[in-house]
Amino acid sequence: MDNLIDLPDAEGFFGDYGGKFVPETLMFALQQLEDTYDRLKQDPDFLKTFDHDLSQFVGRPSPLYFAQRLTEHYAGPQIWLKREDLNHTGAHKINNTVGQILLAKAMGKKRIIAETGAGQHGVATATVAARLGLECHIYMGAADVQRQSLNVYRIKLLGATVHAVDSGTATLKDALNEALRDWVTNIDNTYYIIGSVTGPHPYPMIVRDFNSVVGRELREQSVKLFNKFPEAIIACVGGGSNAMGIFYPFIQEPEVKLYGIEAAGSGLETGRHAAPLNDGQPGILHGAKSYLMQDKDGQVIDTHSISAGLDYPGVGPEHSNLKDSGRAQYLAVNDEETLRAFHMVTRMEGIMPALETAHAFAALDYLVETFNPTDNIVINVSGRGDKDINTVATMDGISLD
Amino acid sequence: MASLLTRLKQRLDSLAAGSKKALVAYLVAGDPDLSTTLELMHGFVASGVDIIELGVPFTDPIAEGPIIQAAHDRALKTDTSLNQIFDLVEEFRKNDSDTPVILMGYINTFLANKKALESIHERGTDAVLIVDVPGESTLENIGINNSHIASISLISPTTDLKRIAKICQTSSGFIYYVTLRGVTGASNLDISEIEKNIAHIRENTTLPVMAGFGIKTPADANKLSKVADGVVIGSVLVDMIHQQSTQKDYKKIYTYLNEISAVITQ
Repeated sequence: MDNLIDLPDAEGFFGDYGGKFVPETLMFALQQLEDTYDRLKQDPDFLKTFDHDLSQFVGRPSPLYFAQRLTEHYAGPQIWLKREDLNHTGAHKINNTVGQILLAKAMGKKRIIAETGAGQHGVATATVAARLGLECHIYMGAADVQRQSLNVYRIKLLGATVHAVDSGTATLKDALNEALRDWVTNIDNTYYIIGSVTGPHPYPMIVRDFNSVVGRELREQSVKLFNKFPEAIIACVGGGSNAMGIFYPFIQEPEVKLYGIEAAGSGLETGRHAAPLNDGQPGILHGAKSYLMQDKDGQVIDTHSISAGLDYPGVGPEHSNLKDSGRAQYLAVNDEETLRAFHMVTRMEGIMPALETAHAFAALDYLVETFNPTDNIVINVSGRGDKDINTVATMDGISLD
Repeated sequence: MASLLTRLKQRLDSLAAGSKKALVAYLVAGDPDLSTTLELMHGFVASGVDIIELGVPFTDPIAEGPIIQAAHDRALKTDTSLNQIFDLVEEFRKNDSDTPVILMGYINTFLANKKALESIHERGTDAVLIVDVPGESTLENIGINNSHIASISLISPTTDLKRIAKICQTSSGFIYYVTLRGVTGASNLDISEIEKNIAHIRENTTLPVMAGFGIKTPADANKLSKVADGVVIGSVLVDMIHQQSTQKDYKKIYTYLNEISAVITQ
C-alpha cells in the first residue's frame, strides 16, 4: 500500500495534490502558521488545552449510536451513527475552530476572519471568537446568506459581522475569494480560520488533524461496542473536512472501507452538480491543486447543490490523493435522493440531519447490499438539520410564513 | 525585428541607458471586447507606455480588488479565452514589434493551455506573471515548457530576506514589487517601507524593479519612480476603460497616461 499517512510532504503535497499556490503577500503568513503549528502540536500544554476545550466546551466525545430502525429497514449491515450533530453549535465544524483559535491566540492575532457556506463554520468561528472576545468577520456568498438565514442570525447574535459576497456565483467559493482578499489586506493582525481541508498548505493538514478527534474516538468506540473496527465509514464530501477527520485515523486499516459522498445536484449527467471527484479534472483553486469543476480553458464552472455546505467546485487535496490511490471511493447522490433520505432519517430515527449529512445517508441505497448482516458500517452525522428547514420546506412546496 | 526575451530586455536596457523610468500599463484582455483591447494597446503605446501587461481573465482572481475583478467578469461574459489572447498579441505585433507584452493571470488558466504556451514567444508574448505561483518556482517547476519567455515574480512587503534572495534567483525580466499589503487598487502606500524593501531587492539582483498595486495619481507615480525603475498602473486604467466603454472615447485615458509618463521621467 502507498504511504498515505505521512502526508503532506514538506512542500505541502499529498502525492500530486495540495501545495501553496497563493499571492506572494500570503507566503509569509503561511510560513508563520506552519512554524507555530509544528511547535504547538508537540506541546503538552497546548494539547491539554485543546483536549479540555473539546470535552468541556464542545461536549466530546460524541456518541456512536446504533440506528435500530434504519438497520431494520435496510435489512443489511448494522448501521451506526457518529453523532457530530450533538456537538456544541450542531456540527463537526467546532472541532477545527476550537483548535485554530488556540493557534490564533498563540500567534497574538486579534482579528479573526472566516468563510462559510452553510453557515456552520461561520457559527463555529463566531462562537470561539466570542469566547475569547476577538473581533470576527464572516464572509458568506449572498445566495447562501439567503438560504441559510437562521445561521446568519446566529452569527450576528454571537457578535460577528457577516459580509455578504455578491461577486461570481455568490456562494462558498466567492466567500473564500473574499476572505483571502481580506487576509492579504490585513495580514499583520488577522488570523484566517479556514473551515475545510482546503486552501494552501498548511491548512488542509491542520484542519484534518484537529478534526481527526472524530476518527480517533470511533476507533475506541467501535472496538468497545462491537469488538472490531467498522467494515465501512460513509461521510459526505464538500471541501471534505468531516470525511477527512473520520477517515484519517483509519487510513492504515485496509479492512475499513472509506466512502466519500459528493453532491450530484440535479444529476451528474446534467453538469449541474458539485462533484469534482466524480466529474472534474485536476486544477488549482484557492491555493491548492486538487480535483476541480472547470471548463477546458481552466475557468471554474458554476456548481449546484441543494446543500450550501457542499456547493463548492473544489475538494480538499488529500481526498484527491485518496481517490487516485484507490484507498477511498467517492460516489455522488443527487438533490432528490438527498431530500428523500433527509425525511426518512428524520422520521425513522428522530434525528434531523443537515442536508450535507443527508447525502451520506442517501448513499445507503447503493452501498448496503455490498455488506453482510454481521458487518458494521458507520455514517458520520456531520451536522444537524435545523438550519435547513427553510430549504426543505421550499423543496416540499410548503410556505413557513 | 526585436524578438523573444530580448524585446523586453532591449526595452529595459534602453530605458536604463537614457536614465528613464518605465511606465507599465495594465488592462484586462477582452474588457469590453478584444478589438477594443487591441485599439487601447496601440493607444497606450502612443501615450508613453513602455510595457503592456495584459490581464488574463479568471473566474476567481484572488489578488484583485473590486475594479479589476469586475473587469475579469466582463471579459469572461464575452468568453475571452487565453487562446484568443495569444491571437490578440499576434495581431498587435503586426503594427508594433518593439513594445513588450506580459500576460498576467492565474495558474489554472495557464495550466489548461500548457501546449499552446510552448510557442507563445513566436506569437509575440514576451513574459508571463502568474500571480498565484510563489516566486521561487520556475515555469518549468509548474510544468510550463518555454525557456524563451521571461517569468516575472512578485515580491511584497511581507517577503522576508531569505525569500527575496530565492525569488531574485529564479526571476527574469524584472521584479514586480507589490507596494502594499492588499489587493490591486487599494490605497495605503508607505513610501519609506517601499524604499527600504526595494533596496533589499537590489542587494540581490541587477534586474530592474517595478512598483505596482495602489498607484493612482501622478503624484503617487512620481514618488515611486524615484525609488523604483518604473511604475505599474492598473486599476485606475481599468476603471477608466469601463467608464468610457459605452461611447468608446478613450482620449481621457491617453491624456492621463501622458501625464504619468511626464512625471515619472522628470
